Amino acid sequence: MKKTKLGEFEELVLLTAAALQEEAYGVEIKRELEKRLKERLSVGSIQSALKRMEQKGFLTSEFGEATQKRGGKRKRIYTVTLHGRNVLAEMKAIRADLWKAIPQLVNLRVI
Amino acid sequence: MKHSDDIRPPKWSLRFLRFFMKKEYLEEIEGDMEELFQEHAGQGSYRQARRQYTWEILRLMRPILLKRLGALQPVYSAGMYNNYYKTSVRGMMKNPFTSFINLFGLAVAIGFCILVYGFARWTYGMDQFHKNKQEVYLATFFAKRDGTYQQFGRAPAPLGPSLKKDFGQIRQVCRVEDRTVVVKFQDKVFNEHVRYTDPAFLEMLTFPLKWGTPKALAGIDNIILSEAMSVKYFGEENPVGAHLLVKFDKDRSKSFTVAGVAATFPDARSFDFDLLLNFENLRVADPGYNAYDWNTNLAATLIQVDHSADVDAIQRGMADYIQAHNAVAPVDWAISSFAFEPLATLSRKADSIRGCISNGSEANYKSVVFLVVLGILMLVLACLNYINIAIVTATKRLREIGVRKSMGASRGAVVAQFLYENGVTTLVALVLGFLFGAYVIIPWFETINHFSMGFRLADPALWIYLPAILLVTAIASGLYPSLYISKFPVVGILKGSVRFGKKNPLTKVFLVLQLILACIFITGSVMFSQNTAYLTHRSWGYNEHQALYVNLPDAAAYEKLEALLSRVPDVVSISGSVEHLGRGHATAIVRTPSHPFEVDQLSVGARYFKTMGLQLAAGRVFADHYKDDERTIVVNNLLVQSLALKNPIGQTLRIDSIQYRIIGVLNDFYSHSFYTKMRPTIFRVADKDQYRYLSLQTRPGSESKTYKIVQARWAELYPETPFSGGYQEDVWGNYYEELGVHATVWRAIAFTAILLVCLGLYGLVKLNIAGRVREFSIRKVLGAGMMNIADNVLRQYILLLIIALALGIPLSYTMGKRVLEFAYVYHMPINFSSVVLAVGILILIVLITLSTQIRKVLRANPVEGLKAE
Repeated sequence: MKKTKLGEFEELVLLTAAALQEEAYGVEIKRELEKRLKERLSVGSIQSALKRMEQKGFLTSEFGEATQKRGGKRKRIYTVTLHGRNVLAEMKAIRADLWKAIPQLVNLRVI
Repeated sequence: MKHSDDIRPPKWSLRFLRFFMKKEYLEEIEGDMEELFQEHAGQGSYRQARRQYTWEILRLMRPILLKRLGALQPVYSAGMYNNYYKTSVRGMMKNPFTSFINLFGLAVAIGFCILVYGFARWTYGMDQFHKNKQEVYLATFFAKRDGTYQQFGRAPAPLGPSLKKDFGQIRQVCRVEDRTVVVKFQDKVFNEHVRYTDPAFLEMLTFPLKWGTPKALAGIDNIILSEAMSVKYFGEENPVGAHLLVKFDKDRSKSFTVAGVAATFPDARSFDFDLLLNFENLRVADPGYNAYDWNTNLAATLIQVDHSADVDAIQRGMADYIQAHNAVAPVDWAISSFAFEPLATLSRKADSIRGCISNGSEANYKSVVFLVVLGILMLVLACLNYINIAIVTATKRLREIGVRKSMGASRGAVVAQFLYENGVTTLVALVLGFLFGAYVIIPWFETINHFSMGFRLADPALWIYLPAILLVTAIASGLYPSLYISKFPVVGILKGSVRFGKKNPLTKVFLVLQLILACIFITGSVMFSQNTAYLTHRSWGYNEHQALYVNLPDAAAYEKLEALLSRVPDVVSISGSVEHLGRGHATAIVRTPSHPFEVDQLSVGARYFKTMGLQLAAGRVFADHYKDDERTIVVNNLLVQSLALKNPIGQTLRIDSIQYRIIGVLNDFYSHSFYTKMRPTIFRVADKDQYRYLSLQTRPGSESKTYKIVQARWAELYPETPFSGGYQEDVWGNYYEELGVHATVWRAIAFTAILLVCLGLYGLVKLNIAGRVREFSIRKVLGAGMMNIADNVLRQYILLLIIALALGIPLSYTMGKRVLEFAYVYHMPINFSSVVLAVGILILIVLITLSTQIRKVLRANPVEGLKAE
């Protein structure tokens, strides 16, 4: 676990990229996450997370098609690597175990 | 929805993005940004989308996305630096004169900046040494005067003890009252100012003692001295335990034991003390003094709270005190509210608080702004010199740059080299400038202004300020030349087809800027000098040159002294008064139908007007017999104008519920100095038994002789009491000296500016001519005379000078006028004569500088010129 170092926000971005499949490029990931988190995100935060995870080997990327509304600039489509998938699965398992360890939370009293 | 073709994101933001973003990410992110921008522009307003775009770009500045500034990276190696260092030192040695111009100019400007720093530090550090500066407050009150509410720094005598009793939040209270006494120790007898205070004074304020303990102030027989006082009476010895005799007045005196001596006061202080006595001694000094009378005000009442937030609560609970005061005070003196001023900011507000214990002044803060502007202008001037000379000098270094470039140096490397060289020059200039500033300019400034700004090398902020100056100066002066020089292509340089330096338009713009600055500085200097001369000879509105005055210890002294002095043949006239022009006045409130009107009031004897030479415009002055004129007043013209009185003679004014009839109107006169506005003034008649001043008029030319006689007679009459009095000319204190100081400072600044411009111009012309030696030699061989050569050299500079003057004259005039109006209440009528004079000086200096070079060309042997190279 220690080697992987996947931050909370990075994990969300990584999951979004995995979910979006072929549509996983910068703006789309931002839109999707904004919709789910119900908050505004900056391009800078998404991009820096993507670049960091690419350096760590959770993601690979390649240029996609260019469109008119992008001013003729190509998209960069991100794909989750096998390593990335493994880490995500590992995180999920660790979380699930922890949830199981605290059964009383089911009866959590709000007031 | 607009079509995407006519909606564009902000150009500058995009350019900025391209500047900092890593190349490999640029296409993707630029596309993302474009897509988002189009989306936003489609949803809302175009302007909002643009704003959002810029904001997002700023937020893209994250380390992982930033370009590495690679251009400069490869040259950062020790060997390269060694080479640069050698080149720059050799360059300096090769052209010692131009190097000197650069160094000297920068050093002088930096020296001036050091002065600005020292002064700003002193101003902003005022009173900040008090440990409790945030918790100690001065009690002040507001009262209505002349239709507006004014703040007064004095407070009713019982306020302090009442506050202490009524408010738990107040930890300590300290009352301060100032009086003048005579202090005697062995054969030393002097008039001194003494502060009566509560023992808390030394706890609330940070005035540590060198000898003795602060607690001693609680002792009613103890006295605490300032260091200066201790030296005055006891020399360097520790005086603790010695006895000083304090004479409160003619009849009352008391012996005090020295119980403490203060350590040297910090330089940045707006108030201190000479002698401290326990407050209770006020009863000994003045048995009639009633500390419980709400109608008596003290010089200051200070309170100390635990938290500064408590003050609001206290301020809200002051209604009872207002009532207590207003119940006994005359209606015109009613207090409308109390306010507490924190010690930390007191000196800054002291100007607007009347009778404030602090001598601080807003003027100092204004001066700081003024000096900062001057400092920046000086630095700009020096940097412009540097830039101009650097560009022209670089002509000779084209080959070097060409070789460096062809060996593989990038443009960045050449820029780095020139910046480095410039850094070396600036560093040397900084060291010289620092020495110059700290050991020449600051001591000079302190000496002429009679103060000490406490400039210390151990000040940590100074060591931030100095590198900051170094960086700013190095970049400001070096960036443009290095960018300019490095931009030429190698092939062009080596082929010799690149010729630059002489034709650079920016060099001309810079020269014009320098000349404009010089014009402004010279005009300022001329204006201040003229104004000083004008104010020095301006009349005070009465006969101040032949008048002398003497402070009297009591009324009986008047008769004795008058009897002795009236026999002196040079004395033309003698009179007595309660207050004296320039030495203080009482304040009276005139009731007018609209609002109370505050005036200065002087009570004088009948002959006072004649003695002082006050000019009567209409009516008469008081008759010799005091009783006849008890209900009459003489007013000045300003009062008549202020109240818009028609036919003032015979009209009555109500003062303190009594009607006074105006019997005479005086021409206006200046009672304080030209710094303060004239005030409406009334004169009332005073009886002999009230006199506190004796004034006399001498025959012209015999002032100093008479003054000596007066002092001698005084010594015969009162061997135990020091003489106190002087020439009327001196009552404005060091006003004229201060005026002279302003003019001196301005002259020094103008001189420096002229020197900088001259040096810059000289260097520029010298280099220009040196580059044209062959041309001039050929011209001379072909028979060109002096006119032809001079015309050739002058032509390019005269045009620049004309442009500079066309811009500089109106600018100098306006700025000079502003400064004069800003600095003086009364100043000379401003006209173009100062600007004309200044421009004349400037033209003369420029022509002299140019003519030295023309002379050199004329004298040179053309054969030598052609043989060169």
